[in-house]
Amino acid sequence: MVLGNYKDCVCARAADPGILSASQDGGIVTQLFACALEHGIIDGAVVAGQGDEPYKPVPIVATTVAELLEARGTRYNVCPNVSMIKEATRSYGLDKVGIVGTPCQIQSVRKLQLYPMGMRSVGSKIALAIGIFCMENFSYQGLEAMVEDLCNVKMESACKMDIGKGKFTVFTERGAVSQIPLKLTHKFEQPGCHVCLDYVANLADISTGSVGTPDGWSTVFTRTKAGESIWGKAIEAGYFETKPISDVKPGLDLVTKLATDKITKNQKTLDERVSFGVGKGLRNPYL
Amino acid sequence: MSKVVEISPTTRHEGHTKLTMQVDDNGVVTRGDWLSLTPVRGIEKLAVGKTMHQAPKISSRVCGICPIAHTLAGIEAMEASIGCFIPDDAYLLRVMLQCSNRLHSHALHNILSLPDMYIPGTDTHINPFTPEQPVRTAALRIQKLREVGQTIGEIVGGEPIHPSNPRVGGMYKNISPRAQIKIYDLVKEAIPLAAAHKDFMISVFKDWDERPMASVAGGKEVEKTQKFGFHDQGYMAVDPLYGSSSLDLDQKWFPERWTEVRPWDWYQGELEVSLEDPDYPIGGTTKVGTKVWPQMEACTGVPLYDGAPVEVGPRARLAMFRNYDRKGAMGLQIARSMEFMDTLYSISEAVEALDTNGKVIADEIPQGDGSLGWAANEAPRGTDGHLTKVKDGRVEWYSLLVPTTWNFPTVSRALEGAPWQLTEVIMRAYDPCVSCATHMMVVDESKKVVAQKLFQ
Repeated sequence: MVLGNYKDCVCARAADPGILSASQDGGIVTQLFACALEHGIIDGAVVAGQGDEPYKPVPIVATTVAELLEARGTRYNVCPNVSMIKEATRSYGLDKVGIVGTPCQIQSVRKLQLYPMGMRSVGSKIALAIGIFCMENFSYQGLEAMVEDLCNVKMESACKMDIGKGKFTVFTERGAVSQIPLKLTHKFEQPGCHVCLDYVANLADISTGSVGTPDGWSTVFTRTKAGESIWGKAIEAGYFETKPISDVKPGLDLVTKLATDKITKNQKTLDERVSFGVGKGLRNPYL
Repeated sequence: MSKVVEISPTTRHEGHTKLTMQVDDNGVVTRGDWLSLTPVRGIEKLAVGKTMHQAPKISSRVCGICPIAHTLAGIEAMEASIGCFIPDDAYLLRVMLQCSNRLHSHALHNILSLPDMYIPGTDTHINPFTPEQPVRTAALRIQKLREVGQTIGEIVGGEPIHPSNPRVGGMYKNISPRAQIKIYDLVKEAIPLAAAHKDFMISVFKDWDERPMASVAGGKEVEKTQKFGFHDQGYMAVDPLYGSSSLDLDQKWFPERWTEVRPWDWYQGELEVSLEDPDYPIGGTTKVGTKVWPQMEACTGVPLYDGAPVEVGPRARLAMFRNYDRKGAMGLQIARSMEFMDTLYSISEAVEALDTNGKVIADEIPQGDGSLGWAANEAPRGTDGHLTKVKDGRVEWYSLLVPTTWNFPTVSRALEGAPWQLTEVIMRAYDPCVSCATHMMVVDESKKVVAQKLFQ
């Protein structure tokens, strides 16, 4: 059960070439939010917008497709999306909010729905939670060191970053490609990520990520009734091209392998923490 | 031969109070005391030494029904003390917040006072929870009006209860254009409801006023007296809608006219209950032979304005600014109902005038030199005055003069001449909210005798 409960799993990409042009992989999150906005399923979404510095995301509330398009693509560092969810229902006046986040962020979204401490009438307004696959995350300083020191690319000139096939790759605006083995990036990972036992955002309505599908496509899990109905509407309206996941390489086997790897690796950290310190173990967040 | 009767605790209002009354042979009150039994919150002492940004947030925690009024009064008192003027758009947001609070609070009070009233033209008490008409429609309207009020408070204030958005110097955030439209739509939706609701409530209250006999919900019918709930005290209000502070050119409230008296000097001395009605709802009145001592039990100081108790609240606002002149308990209830439309029209005007791109925080926020600042906010229940001295960003002294504190002695006067079985109706007409009203922390050194006397 490393992939969590899901109703369906497909290989998909956005049908809109405008979205694909600058999306990370299949443009699923952007296209799905755009579809939900146009169908009135959500009236705004909390997404990772562009911050003051290159590749430094800040959470923004996107209420138009244009704003969603601005926020396309992955920036491999922390974006506190959950911190905006309350504001989205307050000064932005939204009633149906979409949110995208890493597995840990989706966990906190579900937690705030269950225990709405300081989140009065927020939980019921979350209409769509999209989770993205996540092995670990970096701090902004960590990413800066990886890009500028290890890849020798100025942050300003990077136009896309990607993690895949054991490599961290930076593409520049002038066409240069700089690659380092993923092993070198491990020391920049956030230590907090090493206790996470969720790779594919088990609690999201829909979770998506590039692993398991060819380049330019994404793996999509629909997990909840809400997710299933939104995904159904999007397919019906022709927002996505899909293929059965069994027809594509490397397929679900790779997703399962990576998820198992992450859980096994992080379980070790958790076990170590139990006996860490003098006479007082650190609490396992999953118990 | 006068007898002593006590209704304790009183019900269907916020907080814990009781009515201790001396009545004549006909059961008419000759001397009445309405006193708070709610323990002291101590907010004023907690705030001392805190930063000026923290103190209003603490004072808002005094109660969950008008936290908005306390936040705004607290913040504006801080601003008055440090001499900080806020941008226009921040003021508009605050006005919206103020009105949304009043809208929901008045609607809530309707639920509390309706059980004493009758469906006009019948002798049936209104049960606000019955599915029968016309009560169900009125109850649904109340729900909707409260929802609108709370939602607007949520958008503008960040939270409808204990708003997080107001701050010293303005507001933390302006609202989005979308939220602006949402507020406008909500107001448009609420205006016809509020108009219908106001008419319904006024007809119910007038119907009650015209009855020769009446009872509280579940109580015995007694003959009403002429001038039910009348008193001869003055009114105090600083604005028909929002408030006034010591930064205003034309100030409407004067701290030097305010004095405070100890409950020891104001309320009745030791008494023994000599009249009892075991059938009085709910659970009967206090047993015969019980010793009561209002001057020791009261938990509030008695604030006086120009040396006399005054009434604050909806009627005071309408009487001072709109020439309203209906007296008695129902006069106050009707005045409250008349304010529904005002709140909605004011939100609608403010939201139209608001520039969602405008700045909502003052460029410069001084740190204060310890001078006295006060702000009086017209809370749903009346004038909520906060006084403070801020020096170097820290609160040196803080005092709250909240609506129901002003109303306690006034209601005690209004009880006189009414049959004791109906005194709760008078008390409820003032929409008492007692928890914030409880302040024994008297400021003047000489007045600390109060505490000493209680500890003896």
